[in-house]
Amino acid sequence: MTELSQAQRTWRNPLFAWDSAQEVEQLPTASYVSHQEIWERTRSSRTELFKVGRLRYYHKWAGHGQSTWRRSRYWPTRRRVLRIRGEYNDKSLRREKTIVDKRPIWWVVGLMVLALVPLITPERLENTLLTAGVTFGIYAAINLCWMLVIGTASIFSLATYAIVGTAAFMTAYASTMFGLPWWLLPPLGAIIGLIFGGIIALPATRLDGFYYALLTLGLNELCRVYFVTSKEFGSATGGLYGAATYLPQDWSSTGQLQLAYYACFTLMLLALLLYRFINGRQLGRILRIAPEKREAFAEATGVDFRQARVRVFLISSVGLGFIGGFYSANYGGVAFSIFSFDTVLLGLAMLVIGGIGRAEGAVVGTLIVVFFDKVLITLGPIRLIIIGLIMLFVVLYLRNGLFGIKQQFRTWRDKKKSERRSTRAEKGGEMLPEEATEARNPDDVYRRRYDKMQREFLKKLVTPEVINEHRRAPQGQHSESLERLLIYFRNQPQPDKYAISALQSTNGYRIVALSGHRGVAPRVVEDKIYRSPVEAYHGVFLRRVQDLLES
Amino acid sequence: MDVWFVVSNTILLACIYGTLAIGVSITWSSLGLLNLAYGFIFAFAGYGAWLFAQHVSAWGPAVLASGVLAGALGGLFVCALAFIPIHDKPNFTIRGLIATLAINLIGTQSLLWWFGPRSKSLPEIFGTWKLSLPGMTLTADKAGNVITSVVMLLLVLRWMRSSRGGLEIRAMMMNPHAASIVGIGVRRTSFYVMAITGALAGLAAVLLSQTYYISPFGGLTPMIKAVSIALCGGLGSVQGAIIAAIVLGLNEALTTVAIGGRYVLITQFLMIILILLVRPRGIAGILDRAREA
Repeated sequence: MTELSQAQRTWRNPLFAWDSAQEVEQLPTASYVSHQEIWERTRSSRTELFKVGRLRYYHKWAGHGQSTWRRSRYWPTRRRVLRIRGEYNDKSLRREKTIVDKRPIWWVVGLMVLALVPLITPERLENTLLTAGVTFGIYAAINLCWMLVIGTASIFSLATYAIVGTAAFMTAYASTMFGLPWWLLPPLGAIIGLIFGGIIALPATRLDGFYYALLTLGLNELCRVYFVTSKEFGSATGGLYGAATYLPQDWSSTGQLQLAYYACFTLMLLALLLYRFINGRQLGRILRIAPEKREAFAEATGVDFRQARVRVFLISSVGLGFIGGFYSANYGGVAFSIFSFDTVLLGLAMLVIGGIGRAEGAVVGTLIVVFFDKVLITLGPIRLIIIGLIMLFVVLYLRNGLFGIKQQFRTWRDKKKSERRSTRAEKGGEMLPEEATEARNPDDVYRRRYDKMQREFLKKLVTPEVINEHRRAPQGQHSESLERLLIYFRNQPQPDKYAISALQSTNGYRIVALSGHRGVAPRVVEDKIYRSPVEAYHGVFLRRVQDLLES
Repeated sequence: MDVWFVVSNTILLACIYGTLAIGVSITWSSLGLLNLAYGFIFAFAGYGAWLFAQHVSAWGPAVLASGVLAGALGGLFVCALAFIPIHDKPNFTIRGLIATLAINLIGTQSLLWWFGPRSKSLPEIFGTWKLSLPGMTLTADKAGNVITSVVMLLLVLRWMRSSRGGLEIRAMMMNPHAASIVGIGVRRTSFYVMAITGALAGLAAVLLSQTYYISPFGGLTPMIKAVSIALCGGLGSVQGAIIAAIVLGLNEALTTVAIGGRYVLITQFLMIILILLVRPRGIAGILDRAREA
């Protein structure tokens, strides 16, 4: 570069012969630079290669063009079993199918494994595992209803176990006192749950967020104290037992356990169905438009989110009451421990570990916690410490539980990627590899690359002589270097291109930048007012040169 | 009905509840953290005082001081574990709540594991004297409880009013964003706040252990009472917490005399629900100016 600009040449003006008054005969100018040389230098690759791309792997299933519109649906509805996207491959021109949402497959596999557990457990673990399985089924059902309250209705209620416990105690009491059969207990529990839920839903309409959480925590404690101290509910025996149970007494203990396991499993399936029907349909959709702190918007669009929340709360209270009735029919009674603070804590741990707002989070979180709490029962208090540590870890490091990991990891990776990208990006440079993989039209990549090489070349032509030449005569015949620069500048696209606006009031000229959009006025670039068009032309030239050198 | 008994019990309960509730209230309004590890701090302080009394000295004031110190230590521990890592992360309020609950679970289970389920008792800190006045007798622990908690509360409030650290805490309570803009370090202030509220919990633990015993889960009921009183008084307001403590203390004393000790919690919660239905942000809380997470 330096040697090129040092070796100066003169430029002889061909127009001098005709109009010697206005034109000069010769001017110093930059020497000729071979663009071939620049081209060679630019072509030689010095670029560091980075691993880029954000493709997610999807298996492509074969599809036939004839079966494009053949789809399997859940029978009475128009809902499809799997969300499948069909497309034609651009390269192979074959029809392909992609399963967009694989969660139904995971659900089916997981539930089938759970259904097969009693058949495949080894003999000596059967008792422990099936007892834990019974607890799991009931707790998963409770947590699914709770998830409806916390996740869907975003009411942070901690009185879930109070509802379950009250329903269980009342039904057990009714069964022992009036001899109700076992199949009446869950419906009775549902009615009790509705009444109890109705009572505690009253303050929910007035209080928000944490005020309600603390209140319900207190309510839970209130229930505990009431039931523990009252004689009718067996304050002496640590619980109320002797309710009717659906387990036939003449069966073997293994058979009873297996029956209980499948009954609780069915209960969990029912709760899943309830979750699906509330969260995935009208109520859930209404509430999804009104998340916490954005209620005002929902209200403005005419969504009555308060009523929807209370309805979800009441429905899940009915569900919880039903589960409470089932609880006492399953165990033949209920212990006070259902009201204890640790039960609430463990329940919350189950929700938090799985991730709030997802059915799979409730089920898997319950599985993990029940595994530690009931299967590893020989560990003593350590098992609860382990659960607490998992809970603490999840809360400190994960944004939304185990099932939020995928999303959180992607967000983190994108953040890191854009940080790294920003260290390498340059103004007016080539497309970065990451951008290039996302560019719709590959031509753009090459256009940017060519443009960059052209700029590299043009930068070398900017010398004081060239600028002086332009100051003398912005228009007319120019030396080769200046002509190349001007052609490049003139060919730039319209948006943000510099222009000159003539001011009527002061009889001056000002530099503006075009918006590139019809009807949008150009923006003023600088305050300086030029006296003559020639000066203004040169001002524009200087700005463009500066922009070129900066890029 | 014995008026003097009701009055003295009201004062006693109001003092202890006030000590606890002011701690919860200050933590919430300055840090935005709902400290549900309070029960653990409470039990931790009790065990600290018990260890001190067992191994070092059983002299009353020293035991009291060791309980307060242990409480402050517990507060610092909770702060370092639950506040510092996530206070600037999204969804902090709910995550902080759950983190403190997790610490509560871990802490109380560790105490159970280490010390066993048998409850411990502290020595009589205030001696065993009695003072007979016309119409009532003042026992040592009642008088001591009232005097100590009032003195401690006055000290803390005085410190909050007149010192640099107190000014920082009050600034955080008024507007945490503006406070951090003018250079009040959130993390440093959080350590002050948690140490002070932990010390208040420690004091309450030692004072209550004169009547009850120290056990791993003994902090639960005081915590729930404290939280509900703070809630009832309006989270973030010291005056509100004091008024609520007096109202609920009176309620408890009256219920004990009139219907029986069994129904204390029931009347208390009915009262709280009534108050909250009338004033959703508590007695002293104003709907718009309460801290929004």
